Amino acid sequence: MRKIGLIIEREFSERVRKKSFIITTLLMPILMIGMMLAPSLVMLYSGTELREIVVVDKSGTIAPRLSSSEEVLFIAQNDLSKEEACSTYNAESSISAVLYIAADVATTGDVQLITNTPSSPVLNDLIASQIESIIERDKLLERYDIADLDTMLRDVETEITINTFENNGTGDEESMEAISSEINYILGLLFGVLLYMIIILYGQMVLTSVVEEKASRVLDVMVTSCSPFELMMGKILGIASVALTQIAIWALLILGASRFLVPTLFSSDVVAANDIMMEGIVGTLGDVGYMSSLILYLALYILGGFLLYASLYAAAGSAVDSVQDGQQFNTVIMAPIMLSLFAMMAVVNDPNSPIVVWASIIPLTSPIVMMARIPFGIAGWEIALSLTLLYLSFVFTTWLAAKIYRIGIFMHGKRPSWRELASWLRIK
Amino acid sequence: MDSILSVQHVTKRYAEHKALDDLSLEVPRGSVYGLLGPNGAGKTTLLRVINRITIPDSGCVLLDGKPLTDKEIFSIGYMPEERGLYKKMRVGDQAIFYARLKGLERREAERRLREWFERLDIKDWWSRSVEDLSKGMAQKVQFITTVLHEPRLLIFDEPFSGFDPINANLLKEEILRLRDRGATIIFSTHNMASVEEICDHITLINHSRNILSGPVDTIRRSARSNNFEITIDKGIDTLAAQLEPLATITTPPREVADGHHIATIHIAEDEAIPTVITRLAEHCSLRSIRELIPTMNDIFIRAVDGTL
Repeated sequence: MRKIGLIIEREFSERVRKKSFIITTLLMPILMIGMMLAPSLVMLYSGTELREIVVVDKSGTIAPRLSSSEEVLFIAQNDLSKEEACSTYNAESSISAVLYIAADVATTGDVQLITNTPSSPVLNDLIASQIESIIERDKLLERYDIADLDTMLRDVETEITINTFENNGTGDEESMEAISSEINYILGLLFGVLLYMIIILYGQMVLTSVVEEKASRVLDVMVTSCSPFELMMGKILGIASVALTQIAIWALLILGASRFLVPTLFSSDVVAANDIMMEGIVGTLGDVGYMSSLILYLALYILGGFLLYASLYAAAGSAVDSVQDGQQFNTVIMAPIMLSLFAMMAVVNDPNSPIVVWASIIPLTSPIVMMARIPFGIAGWEIALSLTLLYLSFVFTTWLAAKIYRIGIFMHGKRPSWRELASWLRIK
Repeated sequence: MDSILSVQHVTKRYAEHKALDDLSLEVPRGSVYGLLGPNGAGKTTLLRVINRITIPDSGCVLLDGKPLTDKEIFSIGYMPEERGLYKKMRVGDQAIFYARLKGLERREAERRLREWFERLDIKDWWSRSVEDLSKGMAQKVQFITTVLHEPRLLIFDEPFSGFDPINANLLKEEILRLRDRGATIIFSTHNMASVEEICDHITLINHSRNILSGPVDTIRRSARSNNFEITIDKGIDTLAAQLEPLATITTPPREVADGHHIATIHIAEDEAIPTVITRLAEHCSLRSIRELIPTMNDIFIRAVDGTL
């Protein structure tokens, strides 16, 4: 144990002193905030461009009633044929698309958008919903002969906003916590991506470092001083301690922001009293207790996930002579990580769909997927089961990796095949 | 013979070739033991087998007559030929790390290191990064980290390669000093001069086999061939006649300085040596006679050629 401690100490003190550690520690939060802000920034700056669309309306009744907005300007050119419009308003022109509405659109729904610049789902939805409501209104008028339809429609128009609260047993609006599903979504995504990055970053670090020790023959000196298992565990735990230190620094930053920055920035005067969604976001981020529990889970999953993968990376590193040679094994290790990433995307749509629940319990995918689920509020037993399985499988992969490692580090030359690796497992 | 380490019938095959072929040797306690042999003979493989870095296909290695345990392996000092230092670490940190791994306390390690750094004149390097060191410099650091915990068995793979003659001498003195303090030292080399100066025993390995083993003096004496170098002042032309039939001239006399001539002769029988000396003294005014004991270099070449 003393030797493992020494090796951990060396890995830790050498790595935290590196410039790259200090840089990533400071840069990552900035990157994360950037990632959170990016979608709104993109929307902010991409939405202002005006698209001019030439409308060739063969039914003759729709074009005049299409309403232009800041984003779209409809120009009616009903006299042109579809072909003429397309040749006149081609890619050379300033027009971004030709909208062709067939004469019998009311029955067939035949509308074509012939674009010069890429269209977007948002634009398509906008056009379709306008045309739909025009046609529906015409049909209502035509078939039911309602005199003041417009007044009636305006009269019944309703807009719904859903305010989500956490049930505290009282149902009293004032005392219940407002929950924002948006913030859960963002936090889930953030934690998932963070875990993904940590596992890849630090896992690869284990592989590279094992390969380097092997190439520089430091290993020859090391194995005449301690056992291969002590060496491997020391390295894995040493790098894990570096990762945890980094998380701790981030956690302090986040909790600091939660405690001091959020209340100051979003004081109750700033948050309009009726804006319950905003209240939910601020409530979540400003809740130091809740954020601490999230960070505790984050630490447990980062440690478990890292340990699980690090032992595999150590085994892969021991079996090869250069980092390039390690790529084949790396690809295989990456597969479940990529799978977790896809499952994580599914979490934000439905955090309780069966596939997602399974992915968050089965080790290998569980760290990333469960961490993405936790902000949505997950049953304690699911988390407990997932964590137990994760740490049990860490023991198993470590045992497996140690068997490969103690043979692999002494093998030089050709990269071993899978069959050879399997045979190493049988050597006593 | 009291041997500390005994290698018994060790064979190690790799896919293409045999690196060690039924090799045995005994290392006497407290000796400086040289492993000699051409490149690729199997010296490094043998050292790695002793350290259990390489597991032999058959045969065994005994320390004090018992198979090696982890604890004993971890107490051996081993310096591989490719210097095993972490490139990015600072010299002092690196040395302290290795010393602590070998069981020294930090304070004690640092005290001993400062002493060694002082003696080998490298104390300015303490805070430098390992990657800034030259090959020879890194080797000095590696040597210190290998011996610092004062192991009773030390193994060096090619310790002199990469050193200039001054530093090689420094290292030889340190090796002898370590032996005098009770350590047993095994090292591999193809530097024959170093063998003659510091080795007590040698084993010559060629083509994966032990082809010659024993104390250096014994080997050299047994390989001698009754050749003598003589220095004479006169009777140069009649030298051959004077020696007849007891000895023959192997190298004819040549003048070196002030009328001194040097020649080498071969005396067939040991019993004839006094007679030859008397004759040379009488007729050629003999100034000196010295037996030519073959150097380890000669023995090495002849052994490898198979003409010993």
